[in-house]
Amino acid sequence: MDTVYQFLQHAEEILRGIPLIGGLLASLYHALLGGAPEWVLRALAIAIPILFVLAVFPGIFAYTTLVERKALGRIQNRIGPNRVGRWGILQPIADGVKLLTKEDIVPRRADQFVHFLAPVLAVIPSVLLFSVVPVGAGLIPVDLNVGILFVFAVSGASVLALFMGGWASRNKFSLLGAMRAVAQVVSYEIPMVLAAVAVVMATSSLSLLTIAKAQSGGFLNITNWFVFRPWGFVGFVLFTIGAMAESARTPFDIPEAESEIIAGYHTEYSGFKFALFQLGEYLASIAMGGITVTMFLGGYNGPGSGPGFFGGLISMVWFFVKLAMMIVLNIWIRGTWPRVRVDQLMGFAWKVLLPMSIANIIAVGFWHYLTIRPVAWVVTTLWLAIWFSILTKLAGSEKIAQRTYRYAS
Amino acid sequence: MEIAFWIFSAITVLGAIFAITLRNLFHCLLSLIISLLGIAGFYLLLFADFFAMIQAFVYVGAIAVLMIFAIMLTHHVMGDEGPREVLGGKWWAGMGTAAIVAGLLWAIIRKDQLAQVLPAQGAGVPYTKFVETIGRALVMDWIVPFEAMAVLLTAALIGAIVIALEEVIRKR
Repeated sequence: MDTVYQFLQHAEEILRGIPLIGGLLASLYHALLGGAPEWVLRALAIAIPILFVLAVFPGIFAYTTLVERKALGRIQNRIGPNRVGRWGILQPIADGVKLLTKEDIVPRRADQFVHFLAPVLAVIPSVLLFSVVPVGAGLIPVDLNVGILFVFAVSGASVLALFMGGWASRNKFSLLGAMRAVAQVVSYEIPMVLAAVAVVMATSSLSLLTIAKAQSGGFLNITNWFVFRPWGFVGFVLFTIGAMAESARTPFDIPEAESEIIAGYHTEYSGFKFALFQLGEYLASIAMGGITVTMFLGGYNGPGSGPGFFGGLISMVWFFVKLAMMIVLNIWIRGTWPRVRVDQLMGFAWKVLLPMSIANIIAVGFWHYLTIRPVAWVVTTLWLAIWFSILTKLAGSEKIAQRTYRYAS
Repeated sequence: MEIAFWIFSAITVLGAIFAITLRNLFHCLLSLIISLLGIAGFYLLLFADFFAMIQAFVYVGAIAVLMIFAIMLTHHVMGDEGPREVLGGKWWAGMGTAAIVAGLLWAIIRKDQLAQVLPAQGAGVPYTKFVETIGRALVMDWIVPFEAMAVLLTAALIGAIVIALEEVIRKR
């Protein structure tokens, strides 16, 4: 917001600096906003980030669905959508029109009000998440100094929407899906928060912009990314797994497991309400990808990024390239991994991820106090490797037997 | 600021009223969550954004989910057949609780008492150092109560596991 305001104040000189078309852009800007009063610029500085978030990320969502369907098609030896436009490029628009014109069915015995409220509430937290993600050097909609806490507070609210949807439908499968969703999100939130604590300890800041800044510098703006630290790498893996589970993506999609409980909490939703659930889920997944990029993959830092107009543009390119990589990673994992079982899912969160994330926090402590870097590298790597081997051994030592069911045979 | 205060007040009070007057238990829970979010809004108005986030994180993310589990394990959650009267037969218990809460609030809110509890205006810390100050206070000045609380919570966790284990052992 502040950066946008500063840009608007000095836009003419900055635009004039661009080669070839700079003069044209500057005179265009002068004709539009030259000599505009200050409050107009202030209002624009507030409106531009909001419009950016509302336009760019749902656009990314629309084409994520296309890329996902294409990629899943290839993974499953199919072609994927290719009828609407070349390479199916208009497919998201066709999907939108189809979902908008579909009949909206509400079960008669459903809790009408909560049933209506749930899909709306599923989207709001996901959109709010983008307000603290820095998309470029200094380019963040709101630089909250408690940004990470905001992320977890808001994403915790999304589980309520899932539960409301499942509960209000008065359908046993919906309710089962909702209960699974609550249990899963609550379990995976803890290792995720603890993985983020490691980064907070290293940067002594809760602001995502400060965390991104802390990863600049080094060789080509790359070597200071936290993923290239022992604790950062472990934190990255923990956080990515947690984020995937929180947004109920395929290896962890037991809340909506088609082969078990029809479609889980959104069984009784059709038309645009169903689309809203999908939108919320994907936006949350993309936002979590953005936060992962910011916390571990250097955020907007990359070769050529930095302050100033051109550095800012390059930093935006780097951020979105990394975000695209995270999205593709999600799709890739979705296409290749089977769904985990409910009890395995919970066991994995509590017996492997949680101890590992606590060990990771202690590793950051070592890193902080061992000021001789090679020693710190050896100690933290050894410490994490020991814990990793112990935990995987313990998790693997559980003998695989037929599952005993309590209410079924 | 003034308008925001009244909006948050309305949200908090209306949420609380609905939380005790609605007949469906789940609707009550949703109203309670709205009320708690209104309180988070008050923290924001006081520039205590850390507390606002903690309020939203703990109450909506954790305590509301806990209540969801409690409701799931209760009978007749889907029905609207809660008691019609708010006070029921135990009106004296409600009045007693209300009197105690009102007395405590009165004792705290009276101006001279408030001055003793809160630091004087201007003696506070700069806005940007807020989280840092809380962190320092927690792990330096108040480390013993902080750790005691951690022990208490761990004990509660172990207790829950022991209760759950008993059921598993009995089944075998």
